[in-house]
Amino acid sequence: MSELETVAAAELSGGKAGSADPAARPRSLAGDAWRDLRRNPIFWISLVLVLAVTAMAAFPGLFTSNDPHDCTLARQHAGPGGGAPFGYDFQGCDIYARAVFGARASLLVGAFSALLTGIIAITVGMLAGYFGRWVDAALSRVIDVVLGIPLLLAAIVMLKRISSDSPNIRIIAVIFVLAILGWTTAARVIRSSVISAKQQDYVAAARMLGAGNGRTMWRHILPNSLAPVIVVLTIALGSFIAAEATLSFLGIGLKAPTISWGIDIDAGRTHMRESAVALVVPSTFLALTVLAFIMLGDAIRDAFDPKLR
Amino acid sequence: MQVRRLAAWTALPLAATLGLAACGGGGDSGESDPNATVSIQIAEPQHLISTNTNDSSGNQVLSALFAPLVDYDEQNKPFEVAAESVNSTDNLTWTIKLKDGYTFHNGEKVTSDSYLNAWNYGAYGPNGQGNSYFFEKIAGFDDLQSKDPDGDGPQKAPEPKAQTLTGLKKVDDLTFTVTLAKPYSEFKTILGYTAFYPLPEAAFSAPGVIKDGYEDAPIGNGPFKMKGTWQHDAKVEVERYDAFPGDKPKIAGAEFRIYQQLTAAYADVLSDNLDVDVTVPTENLSTAATDLGDRFQQSQNSSFQFVAFPTFQKEFSKPDVRKAISMAIDRDEITKSIFKESQISARSFVSPVVAGYRDDTCGEACEFNPTKAKELYQAAGGPAELKITYNGDGGHKDWVDATCNQLKTNLGVDCVGAAEPKFSDLLTKVEGKQPVGLIRMGWLMDYPSMENYLGPLYTTNGSSNYYGYSNPDFDRLVQEGTTAATPDEAVKKYQQAEDILATEMPVIPLRFGQNVYAHSTRVKNVEVDLFQVVDMTKIEVVS
Amino acid sequence: MFRYIVRRLLQMVLAFFGTTLIVYALMFAGQGDPIQALAGERPVSAAQRAYLTEKFHLDQTGIGGFFYRYFDYVGNLLRGDLGDSLTGRKIGDMLAQAWPVTVKLAIIGLLVAILVGVTAGVIAGLRRGGIFDNATLALTLLVLGIPTIVLAPLAQYFLGVKLPLFPPTAGAEPSIYALLLPGIVLGSLSLATALRLTRTSVAENLRSDYVRTAKAKGMSVRRIVSVHVLRNSLIPVITFLGVELGNLMSGAIITEGVFNIPGVGFNLFRGIRTEDGPLVVGLVSVLVVVYLVSNLVVDVLYAVLDPRIRYE
Repeated sequence: MSELETVAAAELSGGKAGSADPAARPRSLAGDAWRDLRRNPIFWISLVLVLAVTAMAAFPGLFTSNDPHDCTLARQHAGPGGGAPFGYDFQGCDIYARAVFGARASLLVGAFSALLTGIIAITVGMLAGYFGRWVDAALSRVIDVVLGIPLLLAAIVMLKRISSDSPNIRIIAVIFVLAILGWTTAARVIRSSVISAKQQDYVAAARMLGAGNGRTMWRHILPNSLAPVIVVLTIALGSFIAAEATLSFLGIGLKAPTISWGIDIDAGRTHMRESAVALVVPSTFLALTVLAFIMLGDAIRDAFDPKLR
Repeated sequence: MQVRRLAAWTALPLAATLGLAACGGGGDSGESDPNATVSIQIAEPQHLISTNTNDSSGNQVLSALFAPLVDYDEQNKPFEVAAESVNSTDNLTWTIKLKDGYTFHNGEKVTSDSYLNAWNYGAYGPNGQGNSYFFEKIAGFDDLQSKDPDGDGPQKAPEPKAQTLTGLKKVDDLTFTVTLAKPYSEFKTILGYTAFYPLPEAAFSAPGVIKDGYEDAPIGNGPFKMKGTWQHDAKVEVERYDAFPGDKPKIAGAEFRIYQQLTAAYADVLSDNLDVDVTVPTENLSTAATDLGDRFQQSQNSSFQFVAFPTFQKEFSKPDVRKAISMAIDRDEITKSIFKESQISARSFVSPVVAGYRDDTCGEACEFNPTKAKELYQAAGGPAELKITYNGDGGHKDWVDATCNQLKTNLGVDCVGAAEPKFSDLLTKVEGKQPVGLIRMGWLMDYPSMENYLGPLYTTNGSSNYYGYSNPDFDRLVQEGTTAATPDEAVKKYQQAEDILATEMPVIPLRFGQNVYAHSTRVKNVEVDLFQVVDMTKIEVVS
Repeated sequence: MFRYIVRRLLQMVLAFFGTTLIVYALMFAGQGDPIQALAGERPVSAAQRAYLTEKFHLDQTGIGGFFYRYFDYVGNLLRGDLGDSLTGRKIGDMLAQAWPVTVKLAIIGLLVAILVGVTAGVIAGLRRGGIFDNATLALTLLVLGIPTIVLAPLAQYFLGVKLPLFPPTAGAEPSIYALLLPGIVLGSLSLATALRLTRTSVAENLRSDYVRTAKAKGMSVRRIVSVHVLRNSLIPVITFLGVELGNLMSGAIITEGVFNIPGVGFNLFRGIRTEDGPLVVGLVSVLVVVYLVSNLVVDVLYAVLDPRIRYE
């Protein structure tokens, strides 16, 4: 790292960088962040939760020995027993087994839609906010146009076109539909952050010191604009999982034999006054997953926040 | 496609399921208040012109505004209301005499012309009326239609040859004759349908042209008249018409309140914000009895639920495969666990509400017998994977999934319930001959006759025979039934036709529906008829 | 600034027609059999099919048919005629009926999100890690774990039926009071997001140099927060809420259904389900204007909130 950049980095971290590290070794943002994270218990708790859900999605058989497709009306709303810790739902399926097997589709939909949304939103929001003028005008109007397209309409049109019954293809299609229409809010938010970050003194300083557009955006503006986006995206992750429920409810989302929390929440909803367990269990799985991602997001954001050093 | 049709599919998105039983309103004690009004749940009617109305919400409103020529008694036989008599000696020419004293709400007298003008309007092809097929039995119908010369192409269809039906003749102000194209012994029965209401002179701006705005405030000959206009998506209000010569209603008026979802109406009836909820949603069935006590009621209706086998899917071509699938379904368990006894297991191909219905015409094929079903299925080489395609907007998921689970267990096959967003998407797939598997179907009758089930559902050209079932013997028997000399002879032919269905199993009968309705503490004597319409002359308000 | 706004208004016209074109194309591409869709499960009479096909040019198919129908639509639109819905009603009338109630509902939802979300967010941001902060996190999770399809009927049953604080349904011409419960339900997800955005933003700004300077100068905490921190924290929140106003209007499908409000969400849902192209495009046209205007207002607000931001 050149001397100039070290100065810029010092500027960026509030002037404390030089004295904080006795070795005086030039540090990268990521290196700093990792050091912070290692000492943060919240980071570890949320990471364990995320890994647990991921493991559930990858190897559901490790968490339950019951077949989630084994359902019979004879067991309708039956209490716990027979390896089913939460009992059985309206169709007589093991509620817990279904929640475990539902993790895969739900996590795939939530995580990948959020990831895709993040990539599109950061790219568009950053370019629009940073370059301003015609780039901003064009991209902002694209955002307006996409905002105007109802999710339901696009979902119906796109998902109806898929003739394949392969569950994997449907999951990918649902991810794309949610992401293609879901990125606009995040893009508007990041654009606003970039616009306000761009006016800050350290950006002017970095520019003066010769940083190019790419470098200024990537190293200086992005870390300072990321906070609100992480908030929007972690919440979006949860609402994407829930949105999948609405799509399934309308007959255009995931389809049986795929199992997902969204499908189960919708099914539990119709019979919630007879038995709330079938609704509460998948909802709790969903809420815990979102909690894990929100906490993880918070921790990462804090670690990357230059002002916190 | 031959156009013979049913009516009264409710337009609600969650048009749940229907159901039977003890009829009549609760609590006959106490006085009633003749000056009070009631509120009744409907969906947004599609139309309020009698020749274009065939959804149950539109029928409900029009049943308050109009008096029919005939209505149906407890045995579902027609009796005269606005008609003095409906007679024929040869089943070909029918003489209809009207009762004197009926007036439209604007004071105009109801005459033969009121009927002839309305029916001619309804039958005239270019008017695009939804009930036009009701008039196709009348002589001269074909001359009122025009064929588009290039199908769906851009050319406009020419004007039809005639403007009025040759079969309709006025005798005097209160008498007219109807000549049919072919003899039809049950013509009197179909006259009870909405399509056969009269229209006043005031409805027309010129002969054969309905006045703009008539539909927003229809003028009828019935016990109630419009109060204001049709408030789209909100309500239709009616008030008592005092000059009505028939049975006087026991209320001063009614508000037909428009609901988008059945659950919203249910919440309102629970808190006495709504007087009559005509359809309690399936998801509330298990708690409704506790919520409402004897204000939760059931009555017979005409709905028939079944699954059909598309003939283009060769794996279902053996009758034994179809029979085995039918035998592997435990109907009683589903009506009990899913529908909480609000529907009845079906083991016949027509509804119990029609004359000529017999129990268990389906025989062994509809008896639950998992062992025999599995043997039969394996012997006949049934497919290892089954699929039941249904429309996702009708509240069908629960029973389709349960049925699939039964098939999985009892036949040892794989089975999935595949939801299409709506019924027309399902039809598009069927018409495109895509592998849809079994398809969910339902039927509500237009008029109480076996023919109204056998014709549309199972004849080769039946309007709802989407699955392509065709049997010349069956077609012939139904045709002979419609032209039989007496209703009894007709029924005999229909029953012979039904017996063919039992051996071939083109569809699997599953359930007969019932009206499942609820009312508030304010009202009593609430009755819902076969067509899911609240009887507006019986309902009373507790004072 | 004036020139900026004029330029934005001109761009809007382009965006407006862009959206109608895309939505029209989507409706066109998604079209199966609108006449059957309108009829539901009932078979359609031949006369009716022929009549509707002719009236709505449904026989115009393919690319040529698409442009024929789109330009026909735009032509009528420019003459101020939004056309007829497939149900036969004037779309202008339907919009005039649907919009007012939806605007009221969306504003209530937005106010709930602002009043509760932003206030709670500021408090949570000031005391990060405290009991209140954790309580707001729990609230967020609750809202996310209980999606609207569950929350709306639950709220209706417990607050409308069991404990009759609110009317269970609102109807077509509701009072503000009747719209309160649906408004809260509708605004709940926006509330959660607004809360967390505000919290993060406030926490971030509290650590900035100007706060340290103000503190060093001996300014009171109250003044620092209300004058400086809040002002600087609101940019992302306002951006979010600006977009959310439109989302609340189009996204009220479930809430409007549960509480029986025949507004925009319901009509959009009905239009999409029955493949009623003219109705959907009509509704979306107005919706796009809402997005365009609220995003313009938000962009202008940036400059008000942060004087360093300038538009030339």
